[in-house]
Amino acid sequence: MKRFKHQKIILSLIIKKPLSLISLLIVLAFIVLGVTAPFIVPYPEDAWGLTYNVEKRFLPPSVEHPLGTDALGRDLFSRVLLGSSFSLIIAVGVIGLALLIGIPVGVVAGYYGGRVGTLLMRITDMFLAFPPLLLAIVLAATLGRGLLNLIIALAISWWPWYARLVYVQTNTVKNMPYIDAAKIAGLSNIKIMGKHVIPNALTPTMVQAALDMGSAILEAAGLSFIGVGVKPPTPEWGLLVSEGWQSINYAWWIAFFPGLAILTTVVGFNLLADALRESADPRLRRTILMRLGVKQ
Amino acid sequence: MPVSKEYIVKRIILLIFVILGVLFITFVITRLIPARPELLWAGPHATIEQIERARKQLHLDKPIYIQFILYLQDFLTGNWGISWRTKSPVIVDVLSTLTATLELVIIAFFFAFIIGIPVGVLAALKKYSWIDDLTRIITVVGASIPVFWLALIVQLVFGSWLGILPSAKRVDEWIVIVTGFKPVTGFYLLDSVIQGNLPVFIDTVKRIILPALVLAAYPFCLSTRMTRAVMIEVLSEQHVKSLIAWGLSKKTILFKYSLKNTIVPVIASLGLSFGYTIIGAFMVELVFVWPGIGFYAAMSLLSFDYPAVIGCVITVAIFYSIINTLVDMIHSIIDPRVRL
Repeated sequence: MKRFKHQKIILSLIIKKPLSLISLLIVLAFIVLGVTAPFIVPYPEDAWGLTYNVEKRFLPPSVEHPLGTDALGRDLFSRVLLGSSFSLIIAVGVIGLALLIGIPVGVVAGYYGGRVGTLLMRITDMFLAFPPLLLAIVLAATLGRGLLNLIIALAISWWPWYARLVYVQTNTVKNMPYIDAAKIAGLSNIKIMGKHVIPNALTPTMVQAALDMGSAILEAAGLSFIGVGVKPPTPEWGLLVSEGWQSINYAWWIAFFPGLAILTTVVGFNLLADALRESADPRLRRTILMRLGVKQ
Repeated sequence: MPVSKEYIVKRIILLIFVILGVLFITFVITRLIPARPELLWAGPHATIEQIERARKQLHLDKPIYIQFILYLQDFLTGNWGISWRTKSPVIVDVLSTLTATLELVIIAFFFAFIIGIPVGVLAALKKYSWIDDLTRIITVVGASIPVFWLALIVQLVFGSWLGILPSAKRVDEWIVIVTGFKPVTGFYLLDSVIQGNLPVFIDTVKRIILPALVLAAYPFCLSTRMTRAVMIEVLSEQHVKSLIAWGLSKKTILFKYSLKNTIVPVIASLGLSFGYTIIGAFMVELVFVWPGIGFYAAMSLLSFDYPAVIGCVITVAIFYSIINTLVDMIHSIIDPRVRL
């Protein structure tokens, strides 16, 4: 009951602030477009990069082609729209895979502690010694270009952050009396971890993970831009920007609009993250609630 | 406030282990993940002899633990392989690019802090006002911009359309030839000042502004937000209240007491933002044809020059660890609590 009320307050806080509401709408629109884009793009063949049309090269934005056409005469709007699907797949894939590695490592290290915990966390630290994205660059260069390789490369550079987060949470949870109770009741370690530790240690990590999707999109685009991401003619936003680079002096729209799509999406996620962080902090929440005149 | 020798020694030993870890992970990724590492190492279109030579270079005919030891030995003796794109040893290439990047990153951080800290303080003082809201929007948008795209747009608008500033390379070769400029330290701004070479100095300043500003976007946002958050915290502390009660003026409280406590954590956040900035430099340098390690790495990536990529990655990772250690040490000098 208390939990429900807490979530309701957070939701009402987000809706009440215009900026947060906009960010929520951006994120929802991105998800909806990402799922439906393959079915609604106006020129599906252009979107997938299967065609090229010499007469239609470098057309500026018009009614027929709202964002213009690219160097091969393909409708840019279709390509950018389909790009949202790829960004969604990449974001979900990277975060999902990173959680899949990070959560078990963090829980095991936190729950068992001792030598196992130290060893696991030392390995995690080794990964964290690389600046963000650098590890992904070596991995992507090693694995070669491709959507799956890009996701793997980013996930492997990403999981240590979740492992750390889960580790800290597990350490807090494992000293709670109900874990002792479960031990006395004779539950196996695996059962305790699965049923009692993970669900309680996971909430902050999951929230963090959902909001990290913006960063995942940003970094994937960066990798594609420097040539270690997806293969052309995949309509991934970073790759679209790099394709528009050569002709930027006479056809600025080709590089401009995919970048704007990245910016809008990532701003949506980051503003939402900001709003959530603020509403999750009880000290800040009270001042905001008072300012908004919400009764608590 | 002296820092104990013990602390510094401890940090340096830790640094050595971190670097070993970096080398270990790079070893695992480059030697164990690919089915035939020598193919990657020899580059595309390699002949059979070249592949065989790469095999020897990587010591792939020896057991794996000996491979690792030889790999460490090769690393320490500067035997990082030959870049097939530039045909010169990777270590020579990489080291020759470092100063260009450092100059760019230092100027970027200078911009980031010189603008970021005052804006952050202002936002904290006018908490919840429109200034604060605007700052928040700017910093969130700034942290969300794909840096390569920002670089392209800035180059297009200021370089091509408006033509205000040159937007490629470090310095005009023609000016270098005419004035007989010879870089000594590799930091062109410093070199031209030392040699009293005004034309080169002016040209270098003009050319560094755009890439440095683009690169500064992310650390600017981070330092602004950090300053705001810490300043709010500091201003709500008890000692500030007692200062107000003592009747000190707002100015004195702000500049003499609060600012100092605010800047410490902001500097401590420099380590992480340095990591993001140096990766941003990969893309910014590529767009602005800035001959630093980022440009070199990006060109190597685009031409599948594997030894060169690995050399850059290891160098940047080690550099990042050293910066983090230095930041921690400086932090501990300013704030004794960290030493515990």
